Amino acid sequence: MKCEQIAELLPDFLRRGLNPEQTEIVERHLAECADCRDEVAVWDKLALLPAAEPSPAARHRFEEMLRVYEAGREERPTPRLTAPRPASLWAGFRWLHSPLVQVAGSLALLAVGFLLGAGLNRGRSQSDDLAAMRSELSNMHQMVVLSMLQQQSASERLQAVSYSQREEQLEPQVLSALLHTLRYDSSVDVRLAALDALSRHAAQPQVRVGVTNALQAQQSPLVQVALIDQLLEWRGPDAVQRLRSFQQSPNLNPTVRERTEWALSKLQ
Amino acid sequence: MNLVTDEELMLQVRSGEGETLGVLFERYHGPLFNFYARLMGDRTVSEDLVQEVFLRILRYRDTYQPGTPFRPWMYQIARNARMDHYRKTPRLETFEPDMLPPVAPHDSAQQQQEGALLHRALMRLSDEKREVLILARFQELKYTEIARLLGVELNTVKTRVHRALQDLREAFRELERGARKNAPSAAPNISLGRAGQ
Repeated sequence: MKCEQIAELLPDFLRRGLNPEQTEIVERHLAECADCRDEVAVWDKLALLPAAEPSPAARHRFEEMLRVYEAGREERPTPRLTAPRPASLWAGFRWLHSPLVQVAGSLALLAVGFLLGAGLNRGRSQSDDLAAMRSELSNMHQMVVLSMLQQQSASERLQAVSYSQREEQLEPQVLSALLHTLRYDSSVDVRLAALDALSRHAAQPQVRVGVTNALQAQQSPLVQVALIDQLLEWRGPDAVQRLRSFQQSPNLNPTVRERTEWALSKLQ
Repeated sequence: MNLVTDEELMLQVRSGEGETLGVLFERYHGPLFNFYARLMGDRTVSEDLVQEVFLRILRYRDTYQPGTPFRPWMYQIARNARMDHYRKTPRLETFEPDMLPPVAPHDSAQQQQEGALLHRALMRLSDEKREVLILARFQELKYTEIARLLGVELNTVKTRVHRALQDLREAFRELERGARKNAPSAAPNISLGRAGQ
């Protein structure tokens, strides 16, 4: 039998979907035809491609998404943010101190925005939906970032910062949350990552001001140095003044002091 | 074993038990991740798309009809998510995968090398051929299901699988020759090519 005729049987042969008679025909051909034999060999060899493992954080991110989505859904009938029902997710944030409360509020607002968007889209055709849906998805991802930034574990907060970098545009609420993280997060790594993420959004005045203000309050020399470098890179109008006043801080780490002087020399 | 079927789980998700989606996530986030990673060669994008698929499953749960096989339905969503991703971020012409296939410790050196070559060969196929091959080989879908998924005739799927394999065979042979030329002292004894090639 010719290769063209075998070709019709081959896909089913590969998945063992032929009857014994047809199988025998193919096998007889394969014994004689190296090209067809190689085709079967390459199919078999695909088994050598090992399965890649998704990162362990994927599960957590999924659960966070589920939580945010379902919590938002519960709010749907009466989206009154000021008085969430005790059982809802948002209630859990109420006793948290400011400015986390603001973050929680933002989260809820985003949730409502997301759900309103979802509701409005009901009546449209699927193709009209695309742009709207993409922006909803982006909102949803940003909600997950907001929610994860409040996790207990530093590695989860770090993940949240890294997810935020996948969005080109961040909601103001997410930027606020990142600025808050930059100032107050207990982990130096998370603070550094937040700075890195924020530096991509320098076009937003809110970000420049927030990052500049973060220097004075910062305790870790590592983050201080990173902030000094950022100020130098941006060369904002008040950079010199900020660095000078920072230079006067008592108990400044010698390396940080040196870095400040170096940055000032570059700016002047 | 008395596993609850995917379809039963999805019906529960549909009737409002969102947390049941966790079981489906457990079953499918690995296969979906590999589907994207093999197709696109990018870990980060693959992980993001997997999240997107599950988000869309939640969002569109009402559209899941009882009696619909879950897996093809899910891959339909997965394909749409990928198309939307490309609409947002057009792919580069000079496409090179950023990830090498991970190495399983029990593999022999030769198998590892073949796996790596095969991965590169796969990436040389056209998107359409790579996709049909991955769907047929790894995602546990029947040809009829793939046909419905791609919106083509059953025979078209079979022809595409055959053509994709031919291309893969050629790409593999070519890479294999290159590998031998570059490392003459340690020429891998790869059995696919015929003697004298």
